[in-house]
Amino acid sequence: MRKKLLSMLLCATMVVSMAGCGADDAADDSKSGSDKASSAGSSAKKTSDETVKLTLWGAEGDQDFLKDVVSKFEAAYPDQKFDIQIGVESESTAKDTILTDIEAAADVFSFASDQLPDLVKAGALLNLDEYGEALSMANKTLDDVKNANVEDSVEAASVDGSMYAFPTTGGNSYFLYYDSSVISEEDAASWDTLLAAAAKAKKKVGMTLNSGWYLASFFYGSGFTTGLNADGTTTMDWNGKSADGYTGVDVAKGILNITSNSSFMAMADGKISDLIASGDLCAAVSGTWDAGNAEKVWGKGYSAIKLPTFTVGNDQVQMKPAYGYKFEGVNAYSKNAGWAVLLAEFIGNEETQIEHFKQAVQVPTNKKALEDEAITKDIAATAVASEAEFGVIQMVGGKYWDPAATFGEILAKGKLKANDDKGIQKALDDLVAGVTAKVE
Amino acid sequence: MANQKKGTAMAAVSGFFKAIGGFFSSFGTAVAKGDLFVKLSLLWWGAGYVRRKQYIKALIMTALEAAVILFTIFFAMEYVPKFGSLGTVKAEKVFNPQTMKSEFNDYDHSFMILLFSLFSFVVWFAAFIVWIRNTINVYKLQLMEEQGEHINTFKEDLKTYIGEKFHITLLTLPVLGVIVFTLIPILLLIFVAFTNYDQQHTPPTELFTWVGFKNFIALFGGGGLTSTFGYSFIRVLAWTLVWALFSTFTTYIGGILLSLMLNSAKTRAPKFWRTLFVVTIAVPQFVSLLLVRNFFADSGIVNTICSNIGLTGFLRDAGLISTSYIPFLSAPGWAHVMIIIINIWIGVPYQMLIATGVLMNIPADQLESAKVDGAKPFQIFVKITMPYMLFITGPALVTDFVKNINNFNVIYLLTQDVYTTTNQALANSQAKEVDLLVTWLFRLTQDYYNYKMASVIGIVVFVICAVFTLVAFNFMIQGDKEGTYQ
Repeated sequence: MRKKLLSMLLCATMVVSMAGCGADDAADDSKSGSDKASSAGSSAKKTSDETVKLTLWGAEGDQDFLKDVVSKFEAAYPDQKFDIQIGVESESTAKDTILTDIEAAADVFSFASDQLPDLVKAGALLNLDEYGEALSMANKTLDDVKNANVEDSVEAASVDGSMYAFPTTGGNSYFLYYDSSVISEEDAASWDTLLAAAAKAKKKVGMTLNSGWYLASFFYGSGFTTGLNADGTTTMDWNGKSADGYTGVDVAKGILNITSNSSFMAMADGKISDLIASGDLCAAVSGTWDAGNAEKVWGKGYSAIKLPTFTVGNDQVQMKPAYGYKFEGVNAYSKNAGWAVLLAEFIGNEETQIEHFKQAVQVPTNKKALEDEAITKDIAATAVASEAEFGVIQMVGGKYWDPAATFGEILAKGKLKANDDKGIQKALDDLVAGVTAKVE
Repeated sequence: MANQKKGTAMAAVSGFFKAIGGFFSSFGTAVAKGDLFVKLSLLWWGAGYVRRKQYIKALIMTALEAAVILFTIFFAMEYVPKFGSLGTVKAEKVFNPQTMKSEFNDYDHSFMILLFSLFSFVVWFAAFIVWIRNTINVYKLQLMEEQGEHINTFKEDLKTYIGEKFHITLLTLPVLGVIVFTLIPILLLIFVAFTNYDQQHTPPTELFTWVGFKNFIALFGGGGLTSTFGYSFIRVLAWTLVWALFSTFTTYIGGILLSLMLNSAKTRAPKFWRTLFVVTIAVPQFVSLLLVRNFFADSGIVNTICSNIGLTGFLRDAGLISTSYIPFLSAPGWAHVMIIIINIWIGVPYQMLIATGVLMNIPADQLESAKVDGAKPFQIFVKITMPYMLFITGPALVTDFVKNINNFNVIYLLTQDVYTTTNQALANSQAKEVDLLVTWLFRLTQDYYNYKMASVIGIVVFVICAVFTLVAFNFMIQGDKEGTYQ
C-alpha cells in the first residue's frame, strides 16, 4: 500500500512540477534571447519562493558534522528557503538501501566508491555532466570540481567519461600499522623480515585474507587486474600470466608462504579492530579507522607505513592495495535535482573536507585540502596518502566478492599446499569462473 | 483406515466444487427466471432493489458499481493493458536549469505495473463475485415478494448483521487484511518468479518482463545461470532439512527431559531452576546469539581457553583440525554441530515451559497405577509420558519443524561475517554450507538483487512446508488417536 501512496504522491508532484514547468517555459520564451546572450547565465537564475525539500544520508558518526555542513550550506544561499532532513545510512550499506527503492531514497547520499558501478548500472545516480549547469549557482563549473580533486578520485567517480559523484574522502584503503618497539622500519618493508621480527618477539602479524578487498593487493601488486564490463560482469586474469610476467600460481604460493608462517594470523573481516586491541599483534594491515586502536595499544611505538613487499618466485613484489574513495552522490530521481547537486558539491568542497578530517580523520581528496597542516602531520593519513600513487581503483562487479572471499579463506586455512601446482591452478580457474560468471 | 481417510479428503474436495457449481447454477436460474428488474440488475446493480423498494440498498450497490467502473477507467487501465509486456518506455530525463529540477518522460515502471495489475485483478474478481451474488439476492427478493413474504427494510437488514449474520460483521476486517497483506504479496511473489526481475532489470531505470519457466529450469540445474546453482540448491536444501529435523527434535526432547527433571520430587528448589531457565528467554535472542558468536569466534574467549588448557593442541595432534584455533563456527561440520548445539541452548527453555504445562496434566491415576504395577521410571516415560506428550504437542511439533525450516535468526546471526566457505562451487552461487534456503534467499535479494531466483526459492520453500504440514497433520489428526492413547 505504501507503494501506491508513493506513486500517487509521485504522480501528484509530477503534475504540479509539469504545470510549473509550463509556466516557466512561457516566461522563459519571452526573455530567452537576452538570457542566452548573457555570459554566465547565473544572474538569470533566481531562487524560487518554493521551499526546497531535500534529504541527506550520511554515516552515523557524521551526523553532527553534516548538521554543521547543512547550516553552512543554507547560509550560503540566504534567499532560498530549505528544508533539509538528515538521515543515518552507513556508506558501506548505502547501495543496498538505495537500490531497494530508488525513488524513496535520499536526494543526496554518501557511499563507498566500490558501490559506484552498481549504482550507475541501476540508474540511481545523476550523471553530473548533464547537470553541471546547476553549479553556476555556486559560481563553479564541473571542470573546476574535477580539477580541484586528485585525478584518481575523479576517475574513480566516473563511468565511460561521465562523472557520477563528488569525491569527498580519499584513503579508503589499508596499510601496515606496526609497533616500532618490536619492528624496525626496515623490517616492515617486506613480509619475510616482518614475520621474522614478529617471531623473535613471539607476537603475530595480522591481515585479512577472506575478503576480496584485502586479498586483491597481492594480485594487483604482481600486475594482475580486474575490470568491470558494461553488462555488469567482471573480468579477471588471475589464473593466467600477468603483465609483469608472474603466474597466478606463483602469487598464490607467495601468499601460502605467508599464511603457513606461524607468526601470521588471518583475521576475519570485521574482527580486525578487536584483534588489534587485544595486544597479541605487533603489526596489522588495516585502514585509518583503526588508528585510534593502534595508538592506544602500542603507545609510543605506534607507527604506520605502506604495505610491505612479498616474495613471488625469486622477486620481492610491492603489494598494491585496493584504493577506494567515498563519494557524495545525487539521486537520479531527486525532485530537486539542481539543489541536490549543489548540496553534494558543497559537502565535497575544500573547506568541508578539511573540517571532516579534523572531526573524523577522513583523508581529503581535494588537492589544496591535502596540503593542510592537520593532514600532513597525521601518521595514518600520511601512510595511506603515500599509497595513493600505486593504489589500484578496484573495479569489480557483484559476482567478485563471494568467490574471492572463498579463495582467500582457502589460502588462509592452508587448504592448498604450496607444492601442489595443479590444485592451485584448479582453484584459480574456479575463482575466475565464478567471478566472471554471467550476471543474472 | 486409509480408504476412510481418502474418502473424507475426496468428500472435502467434491464438496468444494459442488458449492461452486451450486453458486453458478443458482445464478443461472436467477437470470433465466428473474423478472425484468432482476435481468436489468445485471447491468445496473441497484435495479432489483429499486423494484422492491429497498432504496438505500439500491443506492449503495449503484455507488459500488460506479466505484468499480471509475476504478477501472482511472486506475486499472493505467496498468493492466501493459501487463502483457510489463512496460516498454524507459525512463528519460533532462535538467531544466530554470527550475533546478529534472523533467521526466512518462515512463513505465515494471514493478508498479505488476503490482497494480494484480491489485486490479483482485478487485475485479471481488466485483465479479459481488455481481453474481447480487443477481441471486435480487432474484431471492423477487421470489419472496411473489410468495408475499416480508421484505426487510434497510434498518432490519442492518440489525441482522449484529444478529444472525454476526459472523460476517466479525470476519469482514480480517478477510480484507488477509487479502491485502497476505494474498496479494504471495501472488506477487509467484508472478516475480516468472520474470527476469534482477540487478540488470531494476525499475525504475530498467524494465523487466516475463520469461516463463526459465528460472525454475535454472534452479534445478537446467543451465542458463551460474553453472553451480543447481549444485548449490541441492546442498542447501539437504542441510535445511537436516537442520530442521535435528533442531526440532533436540529441543523437543531436551525440553521434556528438563521439565521432567524439574518436576521430579527429588529436585530441590524447582522454582528457582525454572526461573533461571526462563531468564534466558527474557534476553532478546539476537543479543545472546551475537554474544555466543563472539565467544566461539576463531579468536574468541572459548578458543583462548581451549588453547590454554591444551585442547587445541590435542585436537591438532589428533589430526582433527589443521588451524591454530578450533574453527567452531568457521568450518563445515564444526559449524553444523555447533549451530545445532547452540540452538538447543536457545530453544530448550521454550519447550520446557510447554512440556511443564502438559506434564502437569498427565492423569495422576495412570502414573500411580503404573507404579503399583511395578513399572520402572524409564518404562513410565516411554509408555505413558511420551505418548501423552506426543498426542498433546504433535501439532505444535509440526509447526516447529516448519518454523525451523525458515529459522533465519539462528543461522544468520551465528554465521554472517564469521563463516566463509572454502567450497568454490558454492561460493560461485553465493551460497555457503551453513545456509538455509531462507538465508540464501535473503543474501540473494539483499546483496545481489536477484529477486527472480529468490522468488523461485521462496516458492520451493513454500511448497516444501505446505506438503510437509498437510501430510503430517493428516497423519496426526486422522481417525481416533485419542482412543489409541487411552
